[in-house]
Amino acid sequence: MELFRRRTRRPTLDLDDIQATVLRARPEPYFGTHAIIEITDQAAGRQLLRRLAPLVSSAARWDEPRSSWMALAISYAGLVALGVPQDSLESFPANFRAGMAARADRLRDTGPNAPQHWEAPWGSGRAHLAVSVYADNEDDWRGTMAGYERQLQDLAGVRLLSHQDFGATGFNVFGYRDGFSQPVVEGSGAEPLPGDGRPIKAGEFVLGYPSETGQPLPMPTPDVLGRNGTYVVFRKYHSHVATFNRYLRDNASTEEDRELLAAKLVGRWRSGAPLALTPEQDDPAVGADPRRINDFDYTDDPRGLRTPLGSHIRRMNPRSTKLETLSDVNIRRIIRRSTSFGEPVVPTVLTADGADRGLDFIALGARAIDNVEFLQSEWVNSGNFVGLGKEKDPMISLQDKGAYFTVPGSPPRRVHGIQSFNTLRGGEYLFMPSLSAIHWLAG
Amino acid sequence: MGEHDIQTRFQELPAAVREKVDTVLTDAKIAVKLKIAEILADPAEHAEHAVTTAGRVGAKSGEVSELTAIMPLKPNGAERLRKFFTLVGGNLAGAGQVGTLHNMRFVFLDNDTKLLFATAYDGEWDPYIDDFATKIPEFMDYLFGNVEGWPGITSPAVKDFITQHQIPAEAWFVSHPNITVAEANRLKRQDAAVQTFVDALN
Ligand code: HEM
Repeated sequence: MELFRRRTRRPTLDLDDIQATVLRARPEPYFGTHAIIEITDQAAGRQLLRRLAPLVSSAARWDEPRSSWMALAISYAGLVALGVPQDSLESFPANFRAGMAARADRLRDTGPNAPQHWEAPWGSGRAHLAVSVYADNEDDWRGTMAGYERQLQDLAGVRLLSHQDFGATGFNVFGYRDGFSQPVVEGSGAEPLPGDGRPIKAGEFVLGYPSETGQPLPMPTPDVLGRNGTYVVFRKYHSHVATFNRYLRDNASTEEDRELLAAKLVGRWRSGAPLALTPEQDDPAVGADPRRINDFDYTDDPRGLRTPLGSHIRRMNPRSTKLETLSDVNIRRIIRRSTSFGEPVVPTVLTADGADRGLDFIALGARAIDNVEFLQSEWVNSGNFVGLGKEKDPMISLQDKGAYFTVPGSPPRRVHGIQSFNTLRGGEYLFMPSLSAIHWLAG
Repeated sequence: MGEHDIQTRFQELPAAVREKVDTVLTDAKIAVKLKIAEILADPAEHAEHAVTTAGRVGAKSGEVSELTAIMPLKPNGAERLRKFFTLVGGNLAGAGQVGTLHNMRFVFLDNDTKLLFATAYDGEWDPYIDDFATKIPEFMDYLFGNVEGWPGITSPAVKDFITQHQIPAEAWFVSHPNITVAEANRLKRQDAAVQTFVDALN
């Protein structure tokens, strides 16, 4: 599917200074790598930034296809390791400074998702720099990676901690089309597609511009460091697809019923077609049509008879749903740049093969950290906001013993035995600096 | 119940509980000791009302948290607020739209120089401040703008400001700790449906 929105208006944002990943849609298919680097020597860290700066792509002409691009983001520990002055460090928000592991409480990352079970290097305080390469073909991916690796090679004082390749056709390991619903950023020049809703104020996604409050959100100092930057939330999930398949198998007897239940959990059929538009059966043509795939809201479905109130996409973006608690859905939007890794598993497989597969969930935005903390505590691991009590998100929550999922109807159906289908393996809060901030940081 | 019966019942409780009560409440009458020991010895009752912390400051029982803050008022702050409270007859019905507020009260202290604000609400307040800042900013600033030093609801300092004035409760009881406002609304709707159904049967 063609994921690119067209640029139909003149952009008012400083696109040359903003990193490409903020506005550039992920291609289909896609290839790439996330590399995590530790800085053990301040001078070497700055040297690496100087070398990488020319490779980091800007958001200029984000609407034109590009074979590959690179993104760079830095954790708080990374800013410390780079020797950023104390008053600048203190100008960053408290949750970013604490880091994701320290915020486990707020994120409801407990039990198997708790930081003490995370994979290295997550939670160690050593994940300083994240370098991501995205590409639309294998050759350019390898080429761009080689360019970055050359810069890293002979530098003592920086160390590669992890290197994770990813790639997919646009469908995640559960078999759902994923990653296409995105907010429209005001001032980017993007043409809103049907159902996108009004453009959201640029300051919600890029620091230094008016946000939904009318004012810019707080920004780190000095100005050159903060402006045109944004925050990134990186969360690596391992997916238990066989467990998911077994849940469908245990609770539906025909393939048709299994696919309907699968759609009720997410709010979309595997093709991407929303239940809101095709409630009875999948319509792959809708799933492949960017002008139809998001062309809905929930105004005419207050009880969730088509799209359950507790389904993943209705929780994560309630659109016009009347919520039980006062919430502004326009400040809870995130730009998603998640990437899928490992082999997908087909619905007939019911036993786990132990292979590594899942999703690197990546959220961008000026409020990305606040928002993921908000989503995790209020909209993922609780059902209160839509009157569902303690029921949780069926795809990404940590399910308690005896948990169930409700499919609204007359009568509603309680589907028992739901498990945690994704386990957190680690993650970090990062700052994605503007291109000029990278130069400033390089000193 | 005579003193002797009370003593007997007290002695029947687990020794560990009796010991704890005896050492802490040295000067309490045996009837008080019995009542408290019985509650401590009932794990289900005790667990349902367990008190945890609500975000940064405050106590939480089940889903319901408390917030108590005493804040200095600007000159004439009490006068302005009182005018508004009088106009609405002390009725803050519109606050229902927040959907997480069980109750709240505004009390003037020390000759109208301070405001006591106390509320019981669901979950944590901290995550919702951002929503107040875009959904009801004028109202938040109208009410709390009378407080000395109020930074404004959209200010990044507002969460710290509230926290600084918050006084955590030392004890906290909620009769239905797991019934949120949203849950109560759902139960009311459900009851209405049941009542209609029963009426139709008769
Ligand atoms: C392994 C974990 C996850 C899986 C398998 C998953 C799956 C999906 C799928 C299939 C969609 C529909 C495709 C689309 O709208 O682009 C979706 C949408 C979405 N997901 Fe997830 N997701 C995961 C984790 C998360 C997390 C952790 C969050 C946020 C905390 C999140 C937030 C969203 C949002 C905001 C949308 C768009 C909803 C809309 O705009 O209608 N997802 N996800």
